[in-house]
Amino acid sequence: MGPAIEDLRDRIIDILPRLRRFARSLARDPHDADDLVQITVERALAHADQLHPDSRLASWLFGILRNAWIDEVRSRHRREPLHAPEALAEHVGDPAAGSQAELLCVQDALARLPEEQRLAVSLVLIEGLSYKEAAHVMNVPIGTLTSRLARGRDALQEMLADTSETSR
Amino acid sequence: MSFSEEVLMAYADHELDEKTRAAVEAAMASDPELARRVAHHQRLRARLRSAFEPVIEEPVPARLLEAARNAPAASGAPRGSNVVPLPRRGAPERSLPRWAALAASLVVGALGGWLAFRLVGSGPITMRNGHMEARGLLAAALTHQLASGQSAAQPVRIGVSFRSKSGEYCRTFSMRAPAVAGLACHAAKGWRLQVLTGAEEEGAATGGYRPAASSVPAPVVTAVNAEIAGEPLDASAEAAARRRGWKP
Repeated sequence: MGPAIEDLRDRIIDILPRLRRFARSLARDPHDADDLVQITVERALAHADQLHPDSRLASWLFGILRNAWIDEVRSRHRREPLHAPEALAEHVGDPAAGSQAELLCVQDALARLPEEQRLAVSLVLIEGLSYKEAAHVMNVPIGTLTSRLARGRDALQEMLADTSETSR
Repeated sequence: MSFSEEVLMAYADHELDEKTRAAVEAAMASDPELARRVAHHQRLRARLRSAFEPVIEEPVPARLLEAARNAPAASGAPRGSNVVPLPRRGAPERSLPRWAALAASLVVGALGGWLAFRLVGSGPITMRNGHMEARGLLAAALTHQLASGQSAAQPVRIGVSFRSKSGEYCRTFSMRAPAVAGLACHAAKGWRLQVLTGAEEEGAATGGYRPAASSVPAPVVTAVNAEIAGEPLDASAEAAARRRGWKP
């Protein structure tokens, strides 16, 4: 193992918490989300020689995770139709679990977005990527990214409107 | 002047050039309705971000660290080894003399040459400006792991966390392989090692179980007593310090 690979491993470890967060915004089940991260790490290392000198490691990893997620969604569609997400109201105002309930509530709302809007929202609003980086991860022009982001945002505003500050 | 919704979103996302941003801000100052629409976008962004904050704070599962550490890698070195410019780390052969020079002042306990080799080369410790610094698994554990809720399977164990007399956050740790224990304090560039010592291999002598408390080597305890200001952090203070990124 060359030192470059060891460096890469260390830098991947530093990004693991962010990869887990990104995965959780796509797959609601924590175990499924960590499976996605594991697949991402294994694929990244197996293709370490394809990492482009001028691309950022985090963006590259997000792209691999996004592809793994899309594969997963397609194969799930073949196996069984996706369940409709439960009603948002179920988690609202749960006094027992403040931040956990808020996370579930936001995850439910995200789950109702079309995949491509959800990816745009997650990369820009949650992960804080620039439009340019997010468009690169999704492999689309910036205009496509911003219109998906705008639609995703509108839909989320609507879904989350009555569960926001009023429920705290 | 009127702005499209897309421009207001871009404002909330910090994507506008200087000139447009200033124009939006000037308009917001005199148009409460515009300010309200911008705040709407900013609130959604902040809400999503904070909803997912607990995920960042969870300890990373051991299987993911294991995959990053040991999953097979493509044979060629990544062409992107300069993706983010990093200071080149010395090869173990070159690090060893510097390690040896530091041994008298920093390293207590008998660390054999083989152990130094494993630690400084590709291991959990690197040299920066004459200091030892945690990296990889050790750095990740110091940054992310909380003393409560640790599992025996985790490769690094965090002991106590506290504020030092100079105001930095410091944490004791122990590792199984290589078997070392020490004290690290959070500095601007990462976790600087104050003390590093060989830990007795757990259960190596007797094949039995040793309570965690007894496995903190004396030099680490001495260093903690010398550095600590006040009491060790309790679980909530520890979590709060982590949220602030261990910044004083």
